[in-house]
Amino acid sequence: MMKTKASWILRIFAAVIFTQTLYFKFTGHPDSVEIFSALNMEPGGRILIGILELVSAILLLVPGTVAYGAILAWGIMSGAIIGHCTEIGFEGDLLSLFLLGVGVWVCATVLLVMHRHQLPLLRHTYEKPDSSA
Amino acid sequence: MVSLTVDLHRLSKFVNVALPVLTVLFLFGGKFLSFYLNFFTVTFLFLSIVNYFYLRVQTEHSLLRNFGIVAQGRYLIESIGPELRQYLFASDTEERPFNRVERAEIYRKAKNIDSASFFGSLKEFDSTEIKIRHSMYPTDREALLPYSLTYGEERGIGNTYTITKPIIISAMSYGSLGRQAVRCLARGAKMAGIPMNTGEGGYPKYHLMEGCDLIFQMGTAKFGVRDEEGFLDEEKLRDLAGKDEVKMIEIKLSQGAKPGKGGLLPKEKLTPEIAGLRGVPLGKDVISPPHHKECKDKSTTVSFIRRVQEVSELPVGIKFCVGSFEEVEELVGEMARQNIFPDYMSVDGAEGGTGAAPKAFMDRVGVPLFPALARVNRILCEAGVRGRLKLMAAGKLINPGRQMLAFALGAQAVYTARGFMLSLGCIQALQCGQNTCPIGITTHDPTLQRGLDIPTKAKRVENYVHNLEHDLHELLAASGRRSFNELTMKNLFIPEDSTLAPLLDQQSLASTYN
Ligand SMILES: Cc1cc2nc3c(=O)[nH]c(=O)nc-3n(C[C@H](O)[C@H](O)[C@H](O)COP(=O)(O)O)c2cc1C
Ligand code: SF4
Repeated sequence: MMKTKASWILRIFAAVIFTQTLYFKFTGHPDSVEIFSALNMEPGGRILIGILELVSAILLLVPGTVAYGAILAWGIMSGAIIGHCTEIGFEGDLLSLFLLGVGVWVCATVLLVMHRHQLPLLRHTYEKPDSSA
Repeated sequence: MVSLTVDLHRLSKFVNVALPVLTVLFLFGGKFLSFYLNFFTVTFLFLSIVNYFYLRVQTEHSLLRNFGIVAQGRYLIESIGPELRQYLFASDTEERPFNRVERAEIYRKAKNIDSASFFGSLKEFDSTEIKIRHSMYPTDREALLPYSLTYGEERGIGNTYTITKPIIISAMSYGSLGRQAVRCLARGAKMAGIPMNTGEGGYPKYHLMEGCDLIFQMGTAKFGVRDEEGFLDEEKLRDLAGKDEVKMIEIKLSQGAKPGKGGLLPKEKLTPEIAGLRGVPLGKDVISPPHHKECKDKSTTVSFIRRVQEVSELPVGIKFCVGSFEEVEELVGEMARQNIFPDYMSVDGAEGGTGAAPKAFMDRVGVPLFPALARVNRILCEAGVRGRLKLMAAGKLINPGRQMLAFALGAQAVYTARGFMLSLGCIQALQCGQNTCPIGITTHDPTLQRGLDIPTKAKRVENYVHNLEHDLHELLAASGRRSFNELTMKNLFIPEDSTLAPLLDQQSLASTYN
């Protein structure tokens, strides 16, 4: 029970943050445009990442696909962290944005571990009784 | 097969390095070429982490521990295996020596997962198979008698040895098994409360580490207790028998996989340590003689048994695979004449396993277990000496069904070697003699042995024993008997064309079809 609750809290937290930032991405908020310009990904990359965030948020909220959403979220956030470290930097507002990103990254990691049994590659290794070794 | 696994080994080493290297390369690409390349950075980072987890963190899966993410491919293929096999390859019940269904049962038992099957048996039911008869009036579980078997009681010696579970880990030497596997099995035996046979590998250094009860096996080369010419060194035997853990001595006359030939340890698997424990030179296959130097015929064999009993002051058994029933009859006759009996006999079926043996011997020599066991039991009964010793059996007795057959044919306890290897996760890659076992069981390569995590695998061994015991009790209750001793051939349905049929007396044969 504890675990299900914790899982829901983490999933909602990640999904809320995603919907917030993707709103800025799709509406072309100047901060967002600035960031993606720094990465040289304007405008295609901004839209692409926005779509991926949307997909990830949906997958996270559907009980049967949490692990997939978590992998996607983990990937996007790893990319964001790399972006901050290599191009964007941490000045002013960017720091809180970065920390938010790290927060979602941690959520995704925890969720991935919690829900790993959903993955077809891993299910066999973890659950199926007649796997051998 | 060999090259395939060596490749797997290389491939995994390559992948282990390639994944992090690619991650870093793409990171630089992301910095200096296009940030889009970081999509690959993230992907390879993810794979690197999963790989690390498989190799270093988890202890459940030996293959993943040894080969990492590359081995995942095996699980993937295995998960679509039924489909592949159905159209392309062998079926679930076709593989040898143990088919998938049989292996899966052991894996389940070892992992303590319910082994109920669904819908129906995968076996063919054309009434040529021996079956266990159930009773219309099954025994209540509470009415089952507790199992207990005391070796040596017939001779009234001081150091008798009592087992309380009917399953024993059969002989597998340190040499054929790696040290890690020996310790997994020994610790599992200790946890399950069963004894373990040391095999003919000489001084049982690694067996002794875990403190389980041991049956010391004296092979035909007598590693560990030999003098320079290969005769028994009584002093060494006395020393070994004096150890607290050593409860019985087993004289190996022959073994089912290579009856009429001595043990064989390929030079690939001969490490300096093993050469030391056995007292043999490095760089050559270790070939044991086909028989004990002391045992030239029936009378010297019987005297040798007495000598070992006297020197060790422990219960002493003999292990053999039957070649000719006349010889067994004569040997038993000689025992009666000299009034000297071993404390147990273990009949090894020709279907028995081995670390290494010539193919012709594995395939073509020796009588299979069930007819051999039934006849030996009959011979002992007819000679009126059945009560002078215990009877045990080995030969693919890896599941409760076959074990019940052995009990009904006269065995009082069962030995299995390969059942326990499977419980450790053996995937039947059949490379036991090449030092390349991908699971780390039959190899001395430490990089492969690390696949076997001792606490995890010892628990598997314990689970396997407990689940076997549980199923055996259920089968016993279903048969309407209260103990294994009460089982006879009459508890079996033996079809007319079975090799066992001639052994049924007229009356019980008639009852087969009643
Ligand atoms: C890897 C391996 C090593 C073995 N080493 C020995 C041995 O040292 N001495 C011996 O008497 N039998 C040895 N055996 C034979 C087994 O003890 C046993 O008699 C035989 O495998 C039948 O049991 P199973 O069908 O349950 O495996 C070995 C078997 C295996 C698979
Ligand atoms: S996995 Fe293969 S090599 Fe290893 S013990 Fe099993 S059959 Fe032998």
